[in-house]
Amino acid sequence: MPYSFADQAGSGKFTPSTRRAIEGVYRVTDGNGDFGDQVALKWTYTHVGTDTTHYLSIFTGTDAGYFNLEINTQADSLAMAGYWRKLVNTKTGITRLAVQVRHSGALKPFTGNNLVEGDTLVVNGVYGNQEAAPTQKLTLTYNRPLNPRPFAIMAHRSGGRTSDLLPASENSVEIIKLASRLGATGIEIDVRYTKDGVPILYHDNTLNLRLIRKNGLAGPIEDYTYQQLNTLIRLVNGEKIPTLEEALETVVNNTSLNFVWLDTKYIGSMDRVQAIQQKYRQLAILAKRDLRIVIGLPTTDAVDQYNALKNKENTPILCELDTSITRGLGARIWAPRWTLGPQTDEVKAMQAEGRTVFVWTLDEPEFIREFIAENTFDGILSNYSPVVAYYHYVDQ
Amino acid sequence: MAQVPASEWPDQPEIYFPQAPRPGQWRKSLGAVFTTTPPELTEEVRVSVPAIDFHLQRGLSKHFFAISRLQTQFVQSNLALGLRWVTPVTDRLHVGAGYDVTGWFGALQIKDVFNSQAYGIQTFPNLSVGYRLTRDLEITVKGEAIMDLYYRSQVGSLAVVYDRRQVNGVAFTVMLEQPFYNNRHVSIGFRAAYSNFNWQLWSLYDTFDRNLLYPQLIFGFIL
Repeated sequence: MPYSFADQAGSGKFTPSTRRAIEGVYRVTDGNGDFGDQVALKWTYTHVGTDTTHYLSIFTGTDAGYFNLEINTQADSLAMAGYWRKLVNTKTGITRLAVQVRHSGALKPFTGNNLVEGDTLVVNGVYGNQEAAPTQKLTLTYNRPLNPRPFAIMAHRSGGRTSDLLPASENSVEIIKLASRLGATGIEIDVRYTKDGVPILYHDNTLNLRLIRKNGLAGPIEDYTYQQLNTLIRLVNGEKIPTLEEALETVVNNTSLNFVWLDTKYIGSMDRVQAIQQKYRQLAILAKRDLRIVIGLPTTDAVDQYNALKNKENTPILCELDTSITRGLGARIWAPRWTLGPQTDEVKAMQAEGRTVFVWTLDEPEFIREFIAENTFDGILSNYSPVVAYYHYVDQ
Repeated sequence: MAQVPASEWPDQPEIYFPQAPRPGQWRKSLGAVFTTTPPELTEEVRVSVPAIDFHLQRGLSKHFFAISRLQTQFVQSNLALGLRWVTPVTDRLHVGAGYDVTGWFGALQIKDVFNSQAYGIQTFPNLSVGYRLTRDLEITVKGEAIMDLYYRSQVGSLAVVYDRRQVNGVAFTVMLEQPFYNNRHVSIGFRAAYSNFNWQLWSLYDTFDRNLLYPQLIFGFIL
């Protein structure tokens, strides 16, 4: 996993080595009725300018649950607070946790450098349901390291569906900043053109109340200029519809994401998307970021648009069509639907030719578990990246 | 014209009204069920592929009859078998209780899109209240509890199985049964299922752990 800790403001007493020590698979004793018998703890961060803010995510594997914890930089001990959510339903609550070490059977605060042979880290505290004050005990005991195998965990629609009641709308700048806390190492976003040809992010064919707040406007998004969308439309959680450039700027400047899958929802020439892809690829290189930005080809129309480009050099693509079309295009990434099953022979053949193989859009938790256990694909695109993260990190 | 008391109204062919066929007598109907997809699952797309709907019933005694019902869209089908106990309360008002077991099966083999199949078993304990509004118009209100017994889904060589018994939701049906033409009768009505899973939409792999509304329009010719 290409992941490096930034030792900057925002981490308080959580130094890089402390954070590294905390990551792992933990047994759940108190709280296992709500969160299952084991969880995976993983750090991530976002940048704003030169400030880095660190977050601890806990992936529970139960009901697509996750914790989003922020560091209390003012506390004398290693303390965190935040919320937990279950994506399959409306369950949520707040939580407060601290990091301790079990030494000779007794618990004492973990300082980051008092861990000796035979000690065990314990993350414990309280959680509550809905808006209730947290009073229920939660105890997590370190069991083993996270699975280190490289694996792409890609969040659909830049983080997940609006219908899953996430705190930010799908295909918004805000959810891109949240994606890594949901377990994602990369994102998929939906690109369309406005009437005046600005590439923006929006999934559906029309303006509708599934995605935007009520405003009296209707019809295809392609019927409106960027200025009209920018001034008149807000997504369900109040965000503006972002341009593709704003989205990629966020990925490069604010996140640790290393993969962006540009889904082709637009009709017409691919050249503007190609130009933006190349611009942000260069900016990522300048920022010393390990970031791949690829154009997805889900249909034969998209393939025709790609073939019509004057210059295809430096334009990485991902083909969702069959293996022969993928080979014919020279695509380095093949991405079949999960409903075709594991297709082990085809996947291994494509990998043997040097291709990466992702599967999409897989949300059913039991199938996520099985696909990861099969250990053939290089990554999974899902609306439930916390589930993918859980099953990947706990896999042995 | 002198009014005929309800007790002397002629028997009317019916499928939903809680009244048993005479022992040994068969009843059957053929029609269609239109199900609207919940926006949570299909988002801006509304898909409504009608299912062929065939009922076959047989009287067992004055109060008991057996039912069977086949719904099919060819790529996915649902077969129900069940028993009904029914009794009149008054000349016009009838009530019934039933227990149905359904098995559903779906298979999708579409190149580069689906290599999937699934099947499952559900049960539907149900209560019906029927009222004869006129000599040839009957209304039936039916309530059902939906319970899952078994679910198996397979994509390629991978399969998942859920065999826990759990309440899946409830359904309410309102049906009118009346003459249509040439002594032929029809059943027409509406069913609203508020449930966590609907067999017709298995291929969407719903992950919401909450009940969604599945409205259905039901129409059938009583044969």
